[in-house]
This record gives sequence, C-alpha cells and structure tokens, in this order.
Amino acid sequence: MATPPLYIMLSSNDRDKMQLASMIASVAAVSERSVHVFVSMGAIKAFDKTASGNARYGDSTLNAELCDKNAPDPVELFAQGKMLGDMSMWVCSMVLDVLDWDTSHLVEDLFDGQMGLTKFLSEAETGQLVSL
Amino acid sequence: MSERKVIDARGSFCPGPLMELIAALKLMNVGDEVEILSTDQGTANDVPEWAAKVGHETLESGERDDHWFVVVRKAK
Repeated sequence: MATPPLYIMLSSNDRDKMQLASMIASVAAVSERSVHVFVSMGAIKAFDKTASGNARYGDSTLNAELCDKNAPDPVELFAQGKMLGDMSMWVCSMVLDVLDWDTSHLVEDLFDGQMGLTKFLSEAETGQLVSL
Repeated sequence: MSERKVIDARGSFCPGPLMELIAALKLMNVGDEVEILSTDQGTANDVPEWAAKVGHETLESGERDDHWFVVVRKAK
C-alpha cells in the first residue's frame, strides 16, 4: 500500500518550527512520500526573497544554538527536498492579500503557486496533516 | 565496473548527510556505492532506514574513530 501523502501547514517563522518543518518535509519527500506544504500567516516572512540568513526567522528557544552550529538553513532544506524528492509548496492566498504581495515577493523557484485554505484542507483529507 | 564514492559530511547536521547521500546517488549508476561519513550519530540509523524504504542496499555501517560511516549500494 502506498504511503499516504503528507500535508504540512506552516503558520510561524519561528526558527525552531521552521527547522523541524523543513526537516520533516525534506526527509519525507526523499523517502518516496508525496509532501505538500502550505505557507500561511507569519511563516510567509521566512520566504521573503529580500530577507537573508537568520533574519528570515523569528527568535526561538534554540535559535542561537542552531545558528552557532550552522544547522541547515530551513529555506534551503525545503529547496533540497523539492529538488530531490516529491514536494510541492503553496502560499496562502489570504496572506498574500493581507500583505499586498504576490508570489514574486517570495524566494524564487520554490513555490508552485498560491492556494486557498479550503482547497488545501480538502486535498489534505487524502493524507496526514501536520501543523506547525 | 562499479564506482565507490566517499562523501565527507562530517560536521553537517541532520538531515544534511542524508541529503548529500541522495544527491550523490542520483548522479550514479545502479551498482555504484557511496560511503557517507558523518559526525551526526543519527546518520548510522537513519541512512539504513532510508535505504531500506526506498529500495537501496546498505552494505556496511558502523563507528570509526570520531565519526560514523554507512556504505550504500544504488540498487535501482
């Protein structure tokens, strides 16, 4: 039986949460599991193409240690998962509206497009949903 | 003639070593082998687990001096 797809909903740019989400997404995607990531609320700030390095992320419990030890950058991990595995990334259309942004504000070559919450939740019924 | 490549991922944190291994395997031929070196202890368990799941073969794994190593053969 095929492994059910994994749906990940991101709502915060907190470094700890972004780190874990990117680890889950990338490892699952390269393990022959279909992964779909929905970026909403404050998480979108981590994917602002004008931001760089740790400035992308909000402070968190392990932020200092993750930086000091050069833990893999979450945005780069998402990109690796997408390059090496079966992963799609979607940005929440509501948050784009709130910020007056479009997908051109986001890190290039990472997102498959924008999506509404209703469609993402509907698709997520076919697999497992993780929210961070 | 199969090839063996050594990837030194020492100092890289999870899932860095696994991602480096996968990137290398994608460029190799069936039957080729990759030896991954890692200071991340989880690699010794994670890489064989991943290989078994996706259908590659773990030939050897263990601890050597200050690091762990896993040898994987590309099987498909």
